[in-house]
Amino acid sequence: MIRAPKLLAGIALGAALSLSGSAAVAQTIRIGWLSSLTGPLSSAALAENQGVQLAVEEINAAGGILGRQIELLTRDTAGDPTKAVNFAQQLAFSDKVDFVIGPVNSGEGLATTPVLAKAGIPTMVIGSIDQLTDPKKYPRAFRVINTNTQWIGSANEYALKTLKRSKVAVIGDTTGYGTSSAKTAQELLDKADIKPVYNVLIDPNKTDLSDEMAKAKAAGADVVMPWSAATGLLGRLLNARGDMGWDVPVVGHPALMAAQIRALLNKPQYWENTFAAGYVSTTYDESGKLPARTQELVDKMRPRLGGKDIDVLFWWVAMGYDCVKIIEYAVKTAGSVDPAAVQKALENTPRYEGIYATYTWGPEQRNGFPDSNMAVNVANTFKDGSFKMAPR
Amino acid sequence: MWSVLVSGLATGALFAATALVYNVMFSTSKVLSITTGHIAMLGGVFGAWFITALGLPWIVGLVGALVVGAAFGWLTDVLAIRRVLARSDEHLWLLSTLALATMVQQAVGLWWGTEPKPFPRLIPQDFGAGITDQKFWLPIVVAVAMALGLELFYRRTMYGKLFLAMSEDAFAARARGVPTDRIRAVSYVIAGALGALAGFAAGQLTFAYFALGLTLTLNGFIALAVGGLGSNVGALIGGAALGLLNAFSSYFVGGEFQQTISVGLLMLVLLLKPEGLLGSKNTRPV
Amino acid sequence: MKKKSAALLVVGLLAATLPFWAADQYQLHLAALIAAFWILIGGLNLVVGYTGQLSIGHVGLLAVGAYTFAILAGPEEVHPALAVLASGGLCGLFGLLLGLPSLRLPGFYFAMATMAVALIVGEFIMANGDLTGGGIGLAVPSFPAPFDSPAGFYYLVLGLAALVTWCTWNVARRMWGRGLIAIRDNPVTAQAVGVPVFRAKLKVFVFSGITAGVAGAVFASLQSYITPDTFVFELSLFFFVCIIIGGRGSIVGPLIGTMILTALPELVAPLAKLGNFFYGLLLLVVVLLVPEGIGRVFEVIAERLRPRRIESIPVRPDLDRLTRALQRPR
Repeated sequence: MIRAPKLLAGIALGAALSLSGSAAVAQTIRIGWLSSLTGPLSSAALAENQGVQLAVEEINAAGGILGRQIELLTRDTAGDPTKAVNFAQQLAFSDKVDFVIGPVNSGEGLATTPVLAKAGIPTMVIGSIDQLTDPKKYPRAFRVINTNTQWIGSANEYALKTLKRSKVAVIGDTTGYGTSSAKTAQELLDKADIKPVYNVLIDPNKTDLSDEMAKAKAAGADVVMPWSAATGLLGRLLNARGDMGWDVPVVGHPALMAAQIRALLNKPQYWENTFAAGYVSTTYDESGKLPARTQELVDKMRPRLGGKDIDVLFWWVAMGYDCVKIIEYAVKTAGSVDPAAVQKALENTPRYEGIYATYTWGPEQRNGFPDSNMAVNVANTFKDGSFKMAPR
Repeated sequence: MWSVLVSGLATGALFAATALVYNVMFSTSKVLSITTGHIAMLGGVFGAWFITALGLPWIVGLVGALVVGAAFGWLTDVLAIRRVLARSDEHLWLLSTLALATMVQQAVGLWWGTEPKPFPRLIPQDFGAGITDQKFWLPIVVAVAMALGLELFYRRTMYGKLFLAMSEDAFAARARGVPTDRIRAVSYVIAGALGALAGFAAGQLTFAYFALGLTLTLNGFIALAVGGLGSNVGALIGGAALGLLNAFSSYFVGGEFQQTISVGLLMLVLLLKPEGLLGSKNTRPV
Repeated sequence: MKKKSAALLVVGLLAATLPFWAADQYQLHLAALIAAFWILIGGLNLVVGYTGQLSIGHVGLLAVGAYTFAILAGPEEVHPALAVLASGGLCGLFGLLLGLPSLRLPGFYFAMATMAVALIVGEFIMANGDLTGGGIGLAVPSFPAPFDSPAGFYYLVLGLAALVTWCTWNVARRMWGRGLIAIRDNPVTAQAVGVPVFRAKLKVFVFSGITAGVAGAVFASLQSYITPDTFVFELSLFFFVCIIIGGRGSIVGPLIGTMILTALPELVAPLAKLGNFFYGLLLLVVVLLVPEGIGRVFEVIAERLRPRRIESIPVRPDLDRLTRALQRPR
């Protein structure tokens, strides 16, 4: 049978390795990278992968961390939580990695986080669903990306405070992410004493959204807030708005800014009056300049991304890069890769300046992304990976 | 309310066209192929590719999509049906068509990408046209035309009569000298072209999306089961019923119970009248 | 026969002592996953491999079992053992309700009905977020000691899998099993001979529901967190392919099929990317070339290498005696 020879080989190898002395293994710092390079959200994962690879190469070329080279073990989970759990187990127990980055999908992350927490491996969390971090249950999971609440919160703030709207239509989709985001959106609006005038969950493959938009208009909505990552649905929503000639602002999920949306629109004008939650680090200021650190990374990454204009959302790349740099910072501060020491080092980080954001973690705070680094962008201003700031 | 009605009829027309394709394949081979929905998906995806990526005029894109559909229909026959029908085991064709359907869906997903991509505008028309937009009436017109065309085909042409002969009794047909293998291949090619046409016509409604195949197989089947296996008019009725039910239920109740309601319709019809509204009773004397 | 039982004994010993010679916890996890899948596939084997009812929506039953266990053992704080029984029972009931209307339908109709039910289960899970956690999913508690360690849990799952295997093996080798195969190959003849077709189909379907429920419960506990993303149609296809490539009408074949197909993407990384395309291709190849399954391939090869020597015993009649017997007056 297939199993036996592999396991025998595994035992032999393990024996050989342990006999040859721990010196060989201890030389590298092993980082596991759980990425969904194929399947849903693969575009995000591929971009993040670029950032991760660049950071690893840079650090290794400069001599590694504390004199030890980084060894990156990439595992393609293909968007399947069962595979993600299998690979997490493999990375934790078979490959015995020191750190894990990922997974990209929140659905996979929810499944792997407990496994890695049990194994005590420090993890860089890059999924946005709020339940992925918990200082008590998962003490060694530190979030690098913003939380879903921050996305929804900054969009709500823009809609309610800046645009001064009060009659909100909340649109979600029937996927896992869509239903939970719509729920969180309602809770946050509730806290601001706003009750949505229209609230619906739509199948992401529904072919026409003009009925829902008509209903939203009939309910008197003066701002439409979609919380879905499905570009097909968002494209149809904008089409419906444009076809009806309804001049309502749309403020919502960052997927509204995705490059694929442009192709799905009936007319390019339909993308106007659309805003999405974004980041200070990938926003052009009034003079058209990016923050200096982002620009530096853009210049470094450009040859690796094709040499011409960058056509992926750059914050994914920056986030992947930051994950590795944070690991470097943690190991240097702790002086070793001992998980407990690393945890202590990261827990007491009042301010770490990354490229994607300036992070703060504390003993009771595992979400490092600060509210102040959130921004709202104009959706149709994609250029070279970043966006313009929404007018205030 | 009108827009709900029209969009329901349009998606229903796509389901009806898929049911017609099922009928054509079933008539000569007594096989219900799981690849039926995927033929329409290929029509939409390749139509979009020919017109947008290769920049060809839409007539050429349409012909190209038809060719791809016909080729896939022929491939279904050769790979999944021919060898399998020769054996007495009747379940194997379900497995082989399921395998082929999975393969084509994954292959297209890897090549085309997993995001829905736009389907180009075929006839210049302003986008504010509301319910008279071509994305609604193109599928409806195509489905009705297909049904009429098939009826004429069966009644007036020699090949159509051969199809009918094979569906009544394949052995008798063979005894009379009908080359059943070749006729079956022809029917699959025709079915492939029709499916691609349906997918192409509905492309603006569904966008060019690789995962369309399986849901269309299921929904087309529900339309077929409701209308009755073997009846073209029944396919139209079944498709319209399913499309309208979907549209009105999502308008009044929301999108969360879509599948439950569609399948509820299927189960109801199967329990009350298993052969469908216009189908014939499927009894086989032994 | 002796060789076969010796081989089975060796396999059984290997499986029982796995925690001692497995290289690390990951391989133990993989083995437990194979065993959990086998609980479901063993039951499904009777439905698909023996009775020929092509149920492609069994992932729905797995989901029902998993969520039932998670809800009962988690927020409701029922003892996990009771929760497993409840999962099995509920899924068996579900199988009964599903089977009653659909098992009378012809093959394709039945397949579509099961697929549709799997989709409905998915929708239901999403729509009732308060109960099932919706898109976020649910954390699943592990079993109490001594089953909470990886090795302990492995033994629990192995025990359940062995129980299911024993049940199905008993069904298969007795008259019941032959009756099921008769239903698969020629339902009309089976009915003519007196096999209670519908009742047999229903009984195996309910049994497969029970095993799916139990499998769902242990699978959920193994994963320690379940989300709706886990229970997709591709998983159903996976179960299906395990049975078909293992060979319909055998118990050992699908078992080997399960082991190979679960472990393969872990061992061969590029396959993880091709994933479902590979399963489809494998299914097509097996259906076209070796419909009896991979097990048959080994048998054919064994025949070629060591053909059974068929002894011919020539009949040599004693002609004299025959002549005398014929000439003797009566």
